[in-house]
Amino acid sequence: MEELILELKEQIIEVLNLEELTPEDIDPKAPLFGAGGLGLDSIDALELIVLLEKRYGIRLASAAEGKGIFTSVENIAQYVSQHRKK
Amino acid sequence: MAAIIADNIISPLGSTTGANYRAVKAGKTALRPYNNVSGIPFPFTAALFSEEQKEEFTTGGLTLFESLAVTSIRKALEGCQIPLDSRTCLVISSTKQNIGMLTTEGTPAENVLYPGRSAGRIARAIGVTTTPIIVCNACISGVSALILGNRLIEMQEYDHVIVCGIDLQSPFIISGFHSLKALSDAPCRPFDLERTGLNLGEAAATVILGRETGPDRWNITGAAVRNDAFHISSPSPKGEGCRMVIQDALGEEGTEGLALINAHGTATLYNDQMEARAIAQAGLADIPTNALKGYYGHTMGAAGILETIITLHAVEDGTVIGTKGYEELGVSGNLNIIRDNTPTTKTSFLKLISGFGGCNAAILLTSQPPLGGEKSQCPTLNVRHHIVITPQSVQIDGEITDTGQQKGMALLTYLYKTYIQDYPKFYKMDALARLGFVATELLIRKEREARGKEQEAEDRRAVIFFGQSSSIHADKEFLASIADPGNFFPSPAAFVYTLPNIVNGEVAIRNNCHGETAFYILPHKDDNIMRMTSQATMLDSYHKSIITGWLDYKSEEDFLAELRIEN
Repeated sequence: MEELILELKEQIIEVLNLEELTPEDIDPKAPLFGAGGLGLDSIDALELIVLLEKRYGIRLASAAEGKGIFTSVENIAQYVSQHRKK
Repeated sequence: MAAIIADNIISPLGSTTGANYRAVKAGKTALRPYNNVSGIPFPFTAALFSEEQKEEFTTGGLTLFESLAVTSIRKALEGCQIPLDSRTCLVISSTKQNIGMLTTEGTPAENVLYPGRSAGRIARAIGVTTTPIIVCNACISGVSALILGNRLIEMQEYDHVIVCGIDLQSPFIISGFHSLKALSDAPCRPFDLERTGLNLGEAAATVILGRETGPDRWNITGAAVRNDAFHISSPSPKGEGCRMVIQDALGEEGTEGLALINAHGTATLYNDQMEARAIAQAGLADIPTNALKGYYGHTMGAAGILETIITLHAVEDGTVIGTKGYEELGVSGNLNIIRDNTPTTKTSFLKLISGFGGCNAAILLTSQPPLGGEKSQCPTLNVRHHIVITPQSVQIDGEITDTGQQKGMALLTYLYKTYIQDYPKFYKMDALARLGFVATELLIRKEREARGKEQEAEDRRAVIFFGQSSSIHADKEFLASIADPGNFFPSPAAFVYTLPNIVNGEVAIRNNCHGETAFYILPHKDDNIMRMTSQATMLDSYHKSIITGWLDYKSEEDFLAELRIEN
């Protein structure tokens, strides 16, 4: 799980162009959206949906479905480990 | 105030306004399901031209986009007698022009990709001799273009303005909207409880504007464009920008003569809810409201013009067209959504539209105009500060600024890191938006230094840019994400930046500017047209100042920002 969390952090930094962050800067339990976290927005959520499909073969039907998953890096890792197809 | 003196619609429902209006009144729709379309690995519903129609419109030496525009404009010109001289201007409203020709199999010649050159060919084919202007303002382009045409006539810059709205669909656009999860695979259902998204459509629609105003014409008597300054692709949940355009377009006019509000009504969850809030907050929840996307889908650059034409012919015919696809109210605000065709005896209507980049627009059309129509006094604008950024240099108010010996994109990053620092969204922007963002930041910094504590309200500021390369750089980046059918993952972020007016949205958000935002594409840098169009924007007395000028990003070696703050 630790490995997957690190991999996800690296992926998130790359696909969302979080240029000034390193994986160490991201608290796996911290919220990704809104104040107090990484401050991601609705387009970032859509990019995360693409990331899940492209890298892990997980297809989400709607942005709403992503909402419950993209709460923290730890939560995404949990979901990916249970649903990944590649 | 300008009047509509002729019009035409070419859509999958027909090639004349009459044929289109009769089809819509009879409840016909152009929406069809599609499956297994080359380059689009998912089923979708859209309103597309048939192959026979495309063949019928194609003119030698022109692309399909250009041919269709020429055909629609010629048909509109048949309905009126106007001289095609130095007093007539062509305004094209289009979001993606020839983009369907940019395929993975090979890049077409540059003259196809540059929208200004395309507009030049359309102008020559119909015999217009003045420089054409393309309004590329995302989904509001059509209404934006009508508003520009109206102002150019009010300023007496021209006697007639031909306004043609047109867009064609392609794997590029359809996969982009799909990646935004904005498409419904079934026919769309505006304002309905069960709505799940929009359908895309193809059309060309032309309006000829002139100064021949009067009670036997449809006259543009109110207009406004405002920015949410909220987000580049999500509408403000409070619908603030949309409420502002409703109130400012209505002005002092009461609502007694209002037959209806023709809403944008794309049938996405967010758009329709936002519009409903705006309409309710403007106190117009009782006014009959409809949307026409169930007949045509979202025809993008054509939408504002096509829907205005259909609505004015319907009101003339004593009818409010029913909202196809609508059954049960699925938005807040207790709106009066018209489901089936309903009679009306009133003589005006309000057209609303909203789009990416946070922009909103509204126009008020009436066949019973107030008297008047004198030349609008153009405000005199004074340049307060100006900036020039090239790949090698930066000059602010004529003074050379330190570049850290950086060049190209590295120069823009250097300027961000040295002078701005607090806006990591910079790294998410495409090249055009980075250029516009850095240039306006440095300009506004200069303004604040000069002004000291004496701050002026920046929310009443317009942000108007002109360029010739449009979003060519971003287009190629997005195309790369759909190039390989075995690795088809269209990027939603990359797609959003294929609209050049996103840079206006970025600047508006950063500086909380609620004034008009627009991106205009020109065949070449033309100071006269830029001055005239900026002045036209300032006719709207909401604005206290404007950030305007040339903003063009072709490549890392070839870009130019030449911007000014004026008031």
